[in-house]
Amino acid sequence: MSEKKQQVSRRQFLNYTLTGVGGFMAAGMLAPMLRMAVDPVLQESGHGDLTNVSLAVEDITTDPQRIDWKVKQVDGWYESEVNRSAWVFKDENDEIQAFSPICKHLGCVVSWEGSDEYPDQFYCPCHDGRYYKDGTNVPGTPPLQPLDVYEQEVRDGMLFLGDAVPREGA
Amino acid sequence: MKWKKADVAQYLEAKEYIDTILIPLIPYQMTGDTELEKNAFQNELTSVLANELEKELTGRIMLTPTYNYVKAADREEEVNRIHSWIEEIQQQPFPHIFLLTLDSSWKKHEQALDGTLLWLPGMKSGDLHSAEMHRFIRDQVEQVSELIRSYW
Ligand code: FES
Repeated sequence: MSEKKQQVSRRQFLNYTLTGVGGFMAAGMLAPMLRMAVDPVLQESGHGDLTNVSLAVEDITTDPQRIDWKVKQVDGWYESEVNRSAWVFKDENDEIQAFSPICKHLGCVVSWEGSDEYPDQFYCPCHDGRYYKDGTNVPGTPPLQPLDVYEQEVRDGMLFLGDAVPREGA
Repeated sequence: MKWKKADVAQYLEAKEYIDTILIPLIPYQMTGDTELEKNAFQNELTSVLANELEKELTGRIMLTPTYNYVKAADREEEVNRIHSWIEEIQQQPFPHIFLLTLDSSWKKHEQALDGTLLWLPGMKSGDLHSAEMHRFIRDQVEQVSELIRSYW
């Protein structure tokens, strides 16, 4: 009898501690997930991250122009300033378009009319990828998706841009 | 592409599209107080240029880790060491090899090199974060990428 009353056995002890540690780890993992699930509700409509790119709306023409700006970014271990670029213009409906210059094939930087052979198109120098002015990829060239589009907003006559978001494939 | 896991994974998937190697050649030396700052700045500037070039043409270029050497080292020996890098690189299909440097001493050995030397005069000193430097770097990157493209 007295044997049974012995203190916690070694095995039990290890089991307890492991469950304890596991519980902690699970809590540690679940907490941020929960937060992420709830966070969008708590945040106000999510346009906190738009940056003033120092371009007045009145200076935007129907000719795409390249603009560069900087944003703070935390990327794993590093917090750094990263450069972003966009091709900005007004389309035929007088609406502002802001495209990411990153080629959807393997990521080179595309330029508006970057090749003399293809005026009125975005051109990728790496493997001759091309996009029409509205950003859709030209079929038969390597890219399979249209250029990403920046979230945008106009405040006090200035253009603000956020993240580049992918569009549906063409 | 850079020498990183994610990039290399992409490389393995799309090998036929990535046919160019970029090796930055950067000298390093502790001797001589007066030269230290200049050398360190050269290091920073070369890295920034190499990184920006890589960004511009990432889908076709693989940027290798930097090739460092002691500034006073015998260039012929270094040429041999660079060639051992290039030979090894050629285990993969890379027809275009570019060596990027701000160190003018390579210019004399250009003929002996088994790759295309991209020597830029750079700048002696300055503030990497200034708007002026930013414009200078953009400009250089544009011109060098045009040069690289002319080899494709
Ligand atoms: S990266 Fe643009 S076409 Fe390949």
